[in-house]
Order: sequence, then C-alpha cells, then structure tokens
Amino acid sequence: MSTGVAELLPPPSGGGGLEFLDARGDVARSPLQLFWQRFRQDRVALASLAFIVFLIVIALAAPLVVGILGLPGPNVQNLSLTNAFGSPLGPSLAHPFGVDPLGEDVMSRVIYGTRVSLEVGIIGTLISTVIGVTVGTLAGFYRGAIDMVLSRTMDVVLSLPLLLFGLGLAAACSVRGCLKGLIEPGLGTIIVIIAFANWPYVARIVRGLVLSMREREFIEAARALGASDARIMFREILPNLTAPIIVYASLLVPTNILFEAGLSYLGVGIRPPTASWGQMLAAATPIFNTAWWYMVFPGAALLLTVLAFNLLGDGLQDALNPRTAR
Amino acid sequence: MRSIRTILAIAVAGSTALALAACGSSSSETTSSTKATSASAISTPGYPSPTTESLGGKRGGTLEVLQESDFEHLDPGITYAALDYPVVFATQRPLYSNKPNSTEPTPDMAAGPPEIAANNKTVTVHIKEGIHFSPPVNREVTSEDVAYAIERGANPDVANPYLKTYFNSLEGVEQADGGPIKGIETPNKHEIVLHLDEPKGQLVADALVLPLTAAVPKEYAEKYDKNKPSNYAAYEVATGPYMLKNDAEGKVLGIGYVPGKSATLVRNPNWNPKTDFRPAYLNEIDIKIGGSEPVIDRQVLEGTNVVQNEPVPQSGVRLAAEHYKSQMDISPGGGNRYVALDNKVGPFANIDLRKAVWAALDRVALNKERGGEVVSTVATHFIYPTINGFEQAGGLKGPTGPQFDYNEHPEGDMAIAEKYIKLAGYPSGKYTGTQTVQVVGASSPPEKEDAEVVNQTLKNLGFNTKLTLVEVSTMYAKYCGVPKEEIDVCPNVGWIADFADPQTVLDVTFAGKSIEPVGNVNYGQVDNPKINKAIAAAEVVQGKEARGKAWAKIDDELVEDAAAVPFDWEKTPRLEGKDVHGVAMLWNEGAWDYSFTSLK
Repeated sequence: MSTGVAELLPPPSGGGGLEFLDARGDVARSPLQLFWQRFRQDRVALASLAFIVFLIVIALAAPLVVGILGLPGPNVQNLSLTNAFGSPLGPSLAHPFGVDPLGEDVMSRVIYGTRVSLEVGIIGTLISTVIGVTVGTLAGFYRGAIDMVLSRTMDVVLSLPLLLFGLGLAAACSVRGCLKGLIEPGLGTIIVIIAFANWPYVARIVRGLVLSMREREFIEAARALGASDARIMFREILPNLTAPIIVYASLLVPTNILFEAGLSYLGVGIRPPTASWGQMLAAATPIFNTAWWYMVFPGAALLLTVLAFNLLGDGLQDALNPRTAR
Repeated sequence: MRSIRTILAIAVAGSTALALAACGSSSSETTSSTKATSASAISTPGYPSPTTESLGGKRGGTLEVLQESDFEHLDPGITYAALDYPVVFATQRPLYSNKPNSTEPTPDMAAGPPEIAANNKTVTVHIKEGIHFSPPVNREVTSEDVAYAIERGANPDVANPYLKTYFNSLEGVEQADGGPIKGIETPNKHEIVLHLDEPKGQLVADALVLPLTAAVPKEYAEKYDKNKPSNYAAYEVATGPYMLKNDAEGKVLGIGYVPGKSATLVRNPNWNPKTDFRPAYLNEIDIKIGGSEPVIDRQVLEGTNVVQNEPVPQSGVRLAAEHYKSQMDISPGGGNRYVALDNKVGPFANIDLRKAVWAALDRVALNKERGGEVVSTVATHFIYPTINGFEQAGGLKGPTGPQFDYNEHPEGDMAIAEKYIKLAGYPSGKYTGTQTVQVVGASSPPEKEDAEVVNQTLKNLGFNTKLTLVEVSTMYAKYCGVPKEEIDVCPNVGWIADFADPQTVLDVTFAGKSIEPVGNVNYGQVDNPKINKAIAAAEVVQGKEARGKAWAKIDDELVEDAAAVPFDWEKTPRLEGKDVHGVAMLWNEGAWDYSFTSLK
C-alpha cells in the first residue's frame, strides 16, 4: 500500500482545490470525490459501513434501545429465569437471546457489550495511530540517530509478548491497582495496553513512507522556500499519507476488538458486572452443552463486528489505492 | 480440613482445622441418632445417598474410574486431598477409619477403642494380629510400623501437612525430624503408647483416623525416605484390601501409578478379611486420569462399569437429574459456604451493616445458581449437617426469633435490611458512606456467579463496590487469607472439617486467636471477646452431647453477631455407570469408597 499514494492525492501545495481538465477533457474530481465514486461501487464495503454505523448508534443509545425492546437492564439478575438446576432458560419472546446463569438478559448484555468493543476498538486505534504517526514521521524525516533510537524502541515494543504482558499486568494490578491506582484492570487499562502495543506497527509503515516522500521535489521546493521542519512534516508530507494510514487504522480496529475479547475471556479484561462479549464467551464455555444461546449470540456479535471492520478496511484500501489488485 | 483440587469442589485454603475431642473415645460402631437425623434431613429425596445406600454387594469384576485431575500424593504420610483418599483408604489401614455411611471412627488396624489415661496425657492403642503388608514386604504389621509412620511424618522430606496441628502435644514432636520421637513407645509388637506433654489425649485419639497412622515398614521404606523428597510413594506397600499394582521389587511408579495417566488397584494377596470391616467386592479398580469433566459425565452416565470421582459440574448434575436419576449419588455434609465480611476494618466492622447484608442476600437465588436444591441447602448457621451440634444449633431452620429476623427470610428482605442500615446510622435506609467496598471472588463457576449475586446485593444496599475475580487459589493465598489486604467482602469461602466435631468447623474459622498474617482462615477477622471466651470454654468440654451443645451455642452467637453470612450447606454429587452399585464416603465429600462399591 505504500506505492501510488502520492499520485492519488496531489500535494496540497499543488492547488488541490482547482478544477482542471485532464487529457480526455473530463472534469477532474477532488480526491474525496474519486474515493467516494470508487467506494460506493463496493457493495460489501458499503454494507459493512452501514452495519458499523448501526453498531455505533446501538452503542450510543444502548439504554434507549434496551428500553424500546422492553428488555431488562444488562445487570438485572433474575434467578427465577433459571430452571430447578440453575440452568438458564433459552430464547423466548421476552428474552430473545435467552438469559445467562444469573438470569440476566443476554440480548441486553450483547447490546451493552457493543459499547465496550467499540470503545476499545476505536479509541485504542486512535491513540496508537496518533503515536505511531508522530513517531514514524519523526524517525523517517530526521533519519540518523533519532531514527536509530526510535526504530529500536519500536523493535523492543514489538518483541514484547503482548498477551502475557496483559495477563501479568492484570494479575499484578487486579485488586489494589498499580502505580497508586493508575493502572487497574478495566477498559482504561485495556485501551492503554492496546495503544502501547500497536503504535510501532503504524510507526514502521509511516516511517517507510516518509523516507521515500522526503526526497520528492515538492519537499525540496518547500525546503527551498524556507519552511520549518514541522511545517514540512505535518503540512507537506503527512497529508499525503492519509490514505494508507486510514486503511491501516481501519484494519487495526477489529484486531483490537478481538484482543479485548481475548483478555476478557481470560478474565483479565473488563471487570464484571460490566457486559463484554469476551467475558460472556468465557462464562458460556463451561455450560455450552446446556445453554448454547449464551455463547452463540455474543459470539455472533463479535464475529459480525470484526468481519464488518475487516471488510470496510478492505473496501477503503481498494477505493483509496486502486493499484492494489482486488 | 482437606484440600480439594477440582474446579467445582469447595476451594478451601491450605491450612488445617484444629480439632479437639471429636466423638468421644468409645468405639462408636453405632451412629448417633442426632447425626442420622441431620444427614437424612438434607439428603436429596429420590437420589441414592451414602446415608441410605445398602452396604451389600456382589463379589468380583473390574471398576473403571474416570477422573479429570491427577492425585496430589498417594503416600499415606503426605496425602490430604479428597481425591486421593479413595485410593489411600482402599490400600492403607490407619489405626481407625470411617465406614462409608458414617462420620464416627471405627477401629481399623486397632483392636479396640483408644485408651486415654485419666490425666488425658497418655493414649494407648492395641493393634490387631494377623495384618500383613502386601508384597514384597509380606511380614506382619507391628506397632513399630505405626511408630515409624508417625515419625516419618516429621521428616522434612515427607512433611506431613497436619502432624503439628493434631499431634503437637506428643512429647518431642517439635524437635523431631524423621528419627524416633520420644513420646512414642512400643512396649510390645501389638501395642503403641503415645505420651503427651499437654492434656490433649482426646485430640490425639481422634486424629488417629488420619492416614498418617497407616503402618509403614521401616526397613523397607527407610531408603526411600532418605531421598529429598521421599519417594516412598513410588514403592509403597499396602495393608488394605487393595494395593497399587507393583513389580517384584515393589515398584509402583510406572506400573500401578503412571502420573497424569492412570492408576491400577489390584487385590492385596496378604489381606486377611477377618481382620477388616471392608467387604472389598471388586477384583480390580482401573483409574484413568485426564479428559474433561463434561465429557466424563456423559461417558459415565452412558457407561456400565464406570464411575467418576470428582464433584460434578452443574451441567452434569442437570443431565443426570433429567435422564439418569438413579446414577447420581448425592452426599450431604460437603461443608459450608459463607460470605466473609471484614469484621475489623471498613464498613462491616459495624454489626448492623453485616446484618443488613444478611437480610438482603437472596440465599435461595444463590443456591439456585449453584445447582439448585439437588446439590445445596440454604444455610441458616455455620455448623453443617453431619457435624455434631447441627441439630442443637437449630437444625435446618437455624436460630429464629425477633433478634434473628435477618435470618428468617432466605429469599432476602430489603425492608429488614433497610431497618439495619438505619440502625447503622444511615437514615435513608441506604448506605451513603463514601468508602468503596472491595469484593474479591473466584473466577470459575459457580463462585463467579456467587460473587456477582453478592456484589449486586451490596449495590442494592447503596454500597459502591469494586468486584475483582481471580483464580480460587489466588483468592485465598493473596487476598481473602491475608488480613492486611483489607478485603471487605469475600463472597464465597467455605470450610470442610477433618472430623465430625463442631470445633473443627468453628474454631480456626471464627476464634480471634486464630487470625494469622498469611494463610488466615478466619477470613472475616472475627474477634469477638464474648465468642472467644465461649470458644476457650468449649474446647475443653468432654462428651459428645455436651460438646454439641456447647458449640451449638457458639454457632448461635456467631449468627447473633452476623460474623459472616452462611448461605449453603453443600451436598456433593458423584456419578456412576448403569451396572455399578456405588457406595460413597459420607465423611469424604461423597467420593466413592472402592472397598464397598460393587458391580451389579
């Protein structure tokens, strides 16, 4: 994805706002228009986008949605919804996804679980992208000693066994927290772990792009005009990297959602009673043979969400970078 | 208290219950009427149970046993786990042991009841003649073999887990390191005398039911006990009706016991049935280790000559209850379960707030989530069924009356809870303090769900809570058993006693003197001067009825103090194949007794 980007997005100093005629005489379109034209032809990506928008609405309006559907809240325990052996009852009109061993409504919990997954996926990705882009740009632009230090730091972070790191951190900090309560298991810590783990991937890609970009003529021109380093980096180079960064970030989101589910599955992620899909899957495993619904619905939610983000990422990549083969 | 390894089992801390004077010194072949009532009162109707199972059977056949976990220790000097006991008690004979349907000791290798001197400082036991070790030792068991068995318990390379708890009054035991102990005397081949430096004869006599007293031949075992750690288990010989299969040199490891894979018990050719009360119907017991519990459950319920020997998870209980009712044996007396509240620090130092939690907690819901009435009984006090004193402490209903209103609504009563919160100084009827309540529970079912129910109850009362779920062992070792961690609520702790004496249930768990900086089992740091005084007095009471009464009164006081919130007297289910007439050990959480089980 690192080639062809510059051609696709004209440099901002090159009068991007002007309309001009190409060789065939067609009206030239802005990069955004070009992108949208390609993207809307990709039905799969469009459907994924629609699903993600739907998820975001569900997550933001979870209490409202649950209320409209007439479901109990996600943490309302009702043991009368379990049978004589404490086995949860399956799907019914009142509880379309069935209930869990505490009689909590699974659908309600799946809906609230959307919040956790999206928060982790989107916020974690945003933070790691910001850090990654900054570090990658600095490393690629300055090269030399700065590049050395930053690149080796990336190597070190990339070589950390992340899952073990997360497990260890959560085990050590679970009850009293670490660093005077700064680190505690829960959403915040997961987001921090994810951001910490993923920035080097972004940084590496950005560094490579910046390395090739800094040799281009328009950069030399800017330099000749006396532009500061900061201006060259953030006004000249970075806008040209928007496309690959967006594509990469969109593919990072589902990875992060799965990572949260993994940590919660292992019992070190989101703290109960907050609903999280990973945690529900973990709780459902031992009783799968008597309560399939407890595993199937959160599992399906997780699968569809990750799939939607992946397909959207692919669609974005195709639309932003037509040279890559479909 | 024995440690138990399976996921669903009572996960208890690794320390031991201090027991004094269990059931009087008589040979106790008869079961007390009190105990019989309490056990049958909470047996689950419609299912086989150790209290109702006939002890007869047909001779012959091979029983297959499936178990998910491996044994911890099969050396009689080390073993202390519910899962190990079925093998240990089929192969080893302590001086006394329990019949499967009883919690009263019966003379086993001993010829009669222990003789306790009037000053309570000497215990004499006569040993039966005609008991022989299995091959390759073959010779007759003597009192010196029992002396060596106890002495090697002090060997740091054997390190018996309860020697210092029950035998600390034995003269010279504190300095012992595996060599002769001054207080053990063997005047002749069939008599052993234990000299004590404190008047604790009753405690020592009662502890003789533990497998530490099973004979070990010194001339044979000594070379293995010199290894660090001892590997006698790899060569152990038997005195019971069965032995771990071995070769001519006596090697068991890799033959009769393959760690992580299997164990094979065959008949001990030197066992003389005339010296034993065990019928030993089976010819062989093949134990397969590994697999996963839900699969094992199904294999057993659909199988013929097969049993599983670990507590059954909820899904297995349901499967059996719906389709294989006669193949699930449910044993009462699986210990108690309670919510520990920090009595010393934090909001629950206030007795009225503890009472509020008790009143609000829906104990019926908690037990339902634990598997329902088939495997649980709503607890109303601490001494659990099958333990002496249960009936005197109020039986199933527990202490009742106006001062116990918080105990009278097992489904939880918010109005009563609010009354106590107001008494605690929060006029709104909700807790409005700022302190966040630390709740630490276990992360595996059903403890996880217990924790969530308790957490929700606390929230309903207005508490801000922070719920953390960790591994069961971590919960005890790092949090609930460490007072300085100041965990306000441990929603699921439990206790199971080594003896049926009430002191083993209440003493270390609720006496102020037993609070320890680590490995503490007085989880709530209960240190009530009135209760401490009553405990000190009850420890020296003699006679079964009197002891039951004295400890039942302490149980009442603990309820009155709302020292903790009991919610479950556990019953433990075990599954058997269609052709098995399984007999479970009432005294060992319903694990199968291989010496009484037979094939139909």
